[in-house]
Amino acid sequence: MSRIKMLASAVLATTLTAGVSASALAAAGDTIKVGLMLPFSGIYAQLGEAGRDGLKLALKEQASQLHGSKVEYIELDTEANPARAPELASAMLHKHKADFVIGPVHSGVAMGMSKILRGKDTIMIIPNAGSADATGPLCSPNVFRTSFSSWQPSYPMGKVALEKGYKKVYAISWNYGMGRESLDAFEESFTAGGGEIVEKVLLPFPSTNFQSHISNIAAKKPDAVFTFFAGGGAIEFVKDYDAMGLRGKIPLLGSGFLTEGTLLAQGEAAEGVVTGLHYAEQLDIPKNWEFREAFNTEYGHYPDIYAVQGYDAGQAIASAVNELKGDVSNKAAIISAMEKLTIDSPRGKFTFSKAHNPIQNIYLREVKDGVNVVQGIAAEALEDHARGCKL
Amino acid sequence: MSTELFFVQLINGVQYGLLLFLIASGLSLVFGVMGILNLAHGSMYMVGAYLVWYFVGVTGSFAVSAMISAVIALGLGILIERLLIQRLYNRNHLDQVLLTIGMIFVFNALQSIIWGNDPYGVAVPQALSGSVPFTDNSSYPVYRIFAALICVTIAAALYFVVNKTRLGMLIRAGQSNREMVEALGVNIKTLYTIVFAIGVMLAAISGIIAAPMSSIVPGMGESVLITCFVVVVIGGMGSIKGAFVGALLVGIVSTFATVLMPTMSNMVIYILMILVLLVKPQGLFAK
Amino acid sequence: MIFDKRTERIVLAIFFLVALCIPLFLEENSFFVGKVTTILILIVFVMSLDFLVGRVGLVTLGHALFYGLGGYLFAILAPEYEAVNFWMYAMYIMGICALIALVVGAVVLRTSGIYFIMITLAISQMAYYFFFDSLEFGGGDGLFIFMKPETSIFGLSFLDLDNPTHFYYLALLAVLITLMVIKIILRSRFGRIVEASRLNPERTEALGYNIFAFRLISYVIGSMLAAYAGLLFALQYGYVNPQFMTWEMSGTALVMSILGGMGTIYGAILGVITYEGLEYLFEHFTEEWLLFMGGAIILMVLMLRKGLAGYLEKLLEKKP
Repeated sequence: MSRIKMLASAVLATTLTAGVSASALAAAGDTIKVGLMLPFSGIYAQLGEAGRDGLKLALKEQASQLHGSKVEYIELDTEANPARAPELASAMLHKHKADFVIGPVHSGVAMGMSKILRGKDTIMIIPNAGSADATGPLCSPNVFRTSFSSWQPSYPMGKVALEKGYKKVYAISWNYGMGRESLDAFEESFTAGGGEIVEKVLLPFPSTNFQSHISNIAAKKPDAVFTFFAGGGAIEFVKDYDAMGLRGKIPLLGSGFLTEGTLLAQGEAAEGVVTGLHYAEQLDIPKNWEFREAFNTEYGHYPDIYAVQGYDAGQAIASAVNELKGDVSNKAAIISAMEKLTIDSPRGKFTFSKAHNPIQNIYLREVKDGVNVVQGIAAEALEDHARGCKL
Repeated sequence: MSTELFFVQLINGVQYGLLLFLIASGLSLVFGVMGILNLAHGSMYMVGAYLVWYFVGVTGSFAVSAMISAVIALGLGILIERLLIQRLYNRNHLDQVLLTIGMIFVFNALQSIIWGNDPYGVAVPQALSGSVPFTDNSSYPVYRIFAALICVTIAAALYFVVNKTRLGMLIRAGQSNREMVEALGVNIKTLYTIVFAIGVMLAAISGIIAAPMSSIVPGMGESVLITCFVVVVIGGMGSIKGAFVGALLVGIVSTFATVLMPTMSNMVIYILMILVLLVKPQGLFAK
Repeated sequence: MIFDKRTERIVLAIFFLVALCIPLFLEENSFFVGKVTTILILIVFVMSLDFLVGRVGLVTLGHALFYGLGGYLFAILAPEYEAVNFWMYAMYIMGICALIALVVGAVVLRTSGIYFIMITLAISQMAYYFFFDSLEFGGGDGLFIFMKPETSIFGLSFLDLDNPTHFYYLALLAVLITLMVIKIILRSRFGRIVEASRLNPERTEALGYNIFAFRLISYVIGSMLAAYAGLLFALQYGYVNPQFMTWEMSGTALVMSILGGMGTIYGAILGVITYEGLEYLFEHFTEEWLLFMGGAIILMVLMLRKGLAGYLEKLLEKKP
């Protein structure tokens, strides 16, 4: 008897839960529904968690701007898996009726989300995925990005390399959107000033078999190396580069993700690495110091760029809602409000371009004593071309 | 490619291959003796790496942390075998696949809960952190040489144990005829527990050895798992000698492929495996 | 009778009854209808896998190759802004996949056991890398399908694929047809020889049958069904991504099939619904859903010797 009953109740429970959540619409009115489509498991989990933490901090700090409306969070784990993206986005839009959908980290997921959400009655804010397409051919009035386009951090590095007197550069990255676009951006400005890319290597993503390539670099003897890697790959590349004795002999340049969130793990191997990014943890502006302390107080550790991007998404929401005195029902009004915003970000103030990508400074950083020290501004108020965007 | 570069890459390939052997040996041993396909093998590699990172943070010594981690892994292997694997001996292979997939989920979740999702690194131990000048421009890290030597030592030890000791004799007998071994009064249950625990420990040790050379991130187990299977299949399931040859082959071929044709290099090991299987459908040294 | 087990008749009856009614009662909830549609499509995919693994005895970890190809072929071949005919394209795509399966099968069927598993995995991974690395086919970001095809036969069109309810019924029809096709094959002489070759290959060969040919044909049929499922999956949201053809996708389908009860075919229904149901449940109630999911799988393997179908049969079949 008991076994059949157990089985039956399990089936019943599953059906009921599905049915109940399906038919129960959340109470309308004074609730702002913020959906989070981020990876909370798997290799990108750290980025998803940082983005969420930043977002929640902003909305908590600026609760007064919401004019009494409460925030309801809906968190769905994308696992950075593009196959689930359209289904989860559809859940956000149709089931939860989210007013804002924040996500994703992974560019493939961004594509899937964008397919469902663009042009629909919700605001999509991308807090990380840098794929050019999202604010390029697939741009849409209701899609904003508070992070970067893949071109932005790498383009100014070409000029930096030229200024440092490097004529021959070896470029290496992963063979996928972000990697290719970063190397192309560097090449664009570097070759325009007379530089030569002696070799451009695209490794299968996400291979970390760097040893043989570093041997190759040593043999080729370029003036410098430019790379894009992030996360575990960034840690391994920088460590291997140092272990093979190239640190100090052949300067290493990169898109800022090379030394973002990875310095502790890289240790001494990262000393002297020069990168470009739209943020640096030591950026000497009051808003940055405030933000860092607030984040540490709330979460017990200091934030990185991924948290900043999530924080700014939260700020964008709060400011837009403030403009509309707490009423989020008119999405077109929210869009106009957001377009006019100047976000007071820990990275410096920025506005949105016509394609809804941040127009922001790119800072030149160098790792000294385990910290990214800001050496200057590599490019000021850099706006992505947004090729293909019809906005 | 200059001769000098060729030799450098050859050494890179051999060193990578030796590490692959260490990872794959446990898988091959367990399958050969027990017929169990342990898909959670990669998770054991991950556990070894995370454990050593954690203990280095606590004790500051890589050597001590390595030993503690290896012992914990051995214990974990015994626990898993007794609690879970034992119940599957009479079930079909697919049930084992399913169980070990469930284990992968559980281990990944535990990793996230216990250690968090940030990427970590383990510094190369002080004593081994130098480099040997290699070419006029680069030097070869002492640690990689050390790692290669450890792999060779363990390979030799495995060979010795399997071929020259009583335990090894039981292992080889169990590989060819399980029932007979039982009929001869050997406690096959204990044998299986020992073998499985050794397999787990080998995987964890390879994670420990690899830790200073790689990064410790979520999902690191799954990324070695497939390469591991390719090695074992090329070598012939259940053959340690096969795993050794297969690992060196995969290590050298993929190292050269990644420099000569980088964008295609991920396919190369699969093409290699398919070619081997077309000529020898049971791998190079199949039993 | 074609459904000779009482449990099978009960499960199928309940399933089709409930499935027929869902859109009628929950039409406003387009998310839920969409979610069940995806489940139906997965059922087709897993049934085709169960046929190959459970009945023909070919354990493949590369089945998702055809699942992904079904969608990709449509995204590549169909003109971007023109609504083509669904049935014609379904036939083209299944035909192309049949040819590919013929070539692939001729190579991989020369191995068996663990080697067969690995070689099928390798081939699907290579296809994954091919599409991931290719700029022309969208790379890692995938491709969009902007225009859904139209479904007229001889000028008469009943289904508008942009309507989630219509699409749902198309998927349900696919489940029914797949089930019938597999059942009819298994009942036929061809099917009995194929099963014999799984149970005792040497004996079957000794009786003079070329089991290589039988297996190859079965492999092609299984792949065509998977391709059809993949086509529906891609059309549902208009998006394809190389991730659809990885070994992880094949592995998940295999898990669902084993959970449901390998070889029962109707077990696929139980397996998919249970897996998806548990995932949905755990995801919405805890952040550590992976832990519970893994634990649930382990518990089910240990307790259910023949999967859910086996368990139900133990309860419901008349004892001799």
